Amino acid sequence: MSSSTTSILPSLSPPQPPQTQHLEHLSQEEQDKLKASVFQRLHPKLYLEKYLEEEVRPDGRELGGWRGVFLNVGSISTAEGSALVRMGDTTVVCGVKAEIAEPELDREGEGFLVPNLDLPAMCSPKFKPGPPSEEAQVLSERLNQALLTSNVLPLSSLCIESGKAVWVLYMDATCINYDGNAFDATLLAMVAALRNTTLPQAKHDSETHQTLCSRSKPRVPLQLANSVPIATSFGIFDSKYVLADPTAFEEPLLDASISVVLGDGGEIISLEQLGSVLVEDVQDGNGEWVKRDVLKECIEAARARRDVLVKEVLNGK
Amino acid sequence: MAQNVFDRRRTNGPEESTPFIYEEDISNPVRPQETCRKGRKPADIRPIFLQPGLINQAAGSAYIEMDRTKIACAIYGPRQSKNVAFHEKGRLNVEVKFAPYSCLTRRAPMRDAEDRSVAMALHQALLASVRLESFPKATIDIFITVIETDGMEGCVAAGSIAASTALAHAGIEVLGLVMSCSAAAMGSEVWLDPTDEESRLSNGTLVLSCMPALTTVTSVWQTGRMAPNQALSCMVASQNRCDDIHTIVAQALLLDNSKSNQENL
Repeated sequence: MSSSTTSILPSLSPPQPPQTQHLEHLSQEEQDKLKASVFQRLHPKLYLEKYLEEEVRPDGRELGGWRGVFLNVGSISTAEGSALVRMGDTTVVCGVKAEIAEPELDREGEGFLVPNLDLPAMCSPKFKPGPPSEEAQVLSERLNQALLTSNVLPLSSLCIESGKAVWVLYMDATCINYDGNAFDATLLAMVAALRNTTLPQAKHDSETHQTLCSRSKPRVPLQLANSVPIATSFGIFDSKYVLADPTAFEEPLLDASISVVLGDGGEIISLEQLGSVLVEDVQDGNGEWVKRDVLKECIEAARARRDVLVKEVLNGK
Repeated sequence: MAQNVFDRRRTNGPEESTPFIYEEDISNPVRPQETCRKGRKPADIRPIFLQPGLINQAAGSAYIEMDRTKIACAIYGPRQSKNVAFHEKGRLNVEVKFAPYSCLTRRAPMRDAEDRSVAMALHQALLASVRLESFPKATIDIFITVIETDGMEGCVAAGSIAASTALAHAGIEVLGLVMSCSAAAMGSEVWLDPTDEESRLSNGTLVLSCMPALTTVTSVWQTGRMAPNQALSCMVASQNRCDDIHTIVAQALLLDNSKSNQENL
């Protein structure tokens, strides 16, 4: 927690956290911190409101501020390609494994791209061990749609022998630490892992019906399209504040969210809006709140953010 | 690998797909033994990178890297046991998950019992160190994700070290830190911390978990063929190395603790 906590708290008059009796051994600063964390747990909404009124978020960002992004590629040697993305504290690892399969009858020359996101119980207390949670299923489906519709990897480039053998790329992402906005982090990790992936040169033998790869020939990178999909997400809190890149603490308190996936040149690949994105921010002459649609602003902010991510994070590697 | 069950909860690929095969491997399936050890002496283990506290959502966590082996561990709890009959002692719940890309061939989710057998081994190694009587009716969840593995023995050893570090990081009362080291019987020699290939070439392997601070062994897991005195020499060699690992872990925990103290001031 940032040190600004103490500066905001004393101004609070409503619900004081219950006084714990055995705090004497703590210093004044530690006591304040403890009270702040109790307040945060009991009244999360009020806690966030107090921050946003001061135009700052609990982690010290501005309302439209982004968390720092760190990318590391190729650290997993058992995978054909891999990437680790840290977006603030949210950490996602993505590994690409290649296998060989027969193509579908109606799509003889196309391979398969199989993206999945796993949110294991390890990454946050809100997930339980067992089969994929609803959140993981929804995110996997959205990632699948974003990757397929953006056509970042033309499936025809995964063909080894039409109608006989094609590559299957299993893209499995695992969340190591869940601190909100897993969708943006995972899509970035998946794109970076694809760019890191190399495949051995394979040949289909029509007599033995076997597909064999060669160790001696160099591995080839994937034939990726120039346009890479990049996701940026926003949340609306209390129909007043637009928060970019929400954290795990902010996410459950939001009443609407916007996710924009953009390709090169800023074209929209996918757009998801859940809830109303009308924000009341100006008062007209009669003192009434005027509502304003922020979708367009979010798309503009996403364009600017995409340029930064592509230039500094993706191509910095 | 055949996808036996069509799983609606995941994005599915084709019904059947197989790992790719190199043509060179068909004619020459056994790779030369020279790739083993890579300049390591028999008693050398792979270098350890250990970082407590990477997962801030958890009560305690640790990340360990031993060359290619990469494991993340998080502790949640002690929290209320659900759907369990009353028990005076707490429960220790260990769940291990292999990432699909962690092994040479893809590990499709929910296919085998290897993760459960590793979880059992880790549970055994840690059980004796945790003071379960200090939290009745509660459960400590230890969740482990294997990001990359190079040898099952090394995976169990690194997992125990990470889990014990994470327990200490979570501030859970333990009798001592559990350290673990694997050994392989290679002819008459004892090779410590074998890689996947080395353990396949060996006669037998052994993983020893102990609490160096109390000079107590918490678990021994031996597989393969080994003469009794060879097993003993494996245990002695592993135990000696555990003392060294103990210093590394203690240092990592101290460093992390002084860092977080500084941040709080």
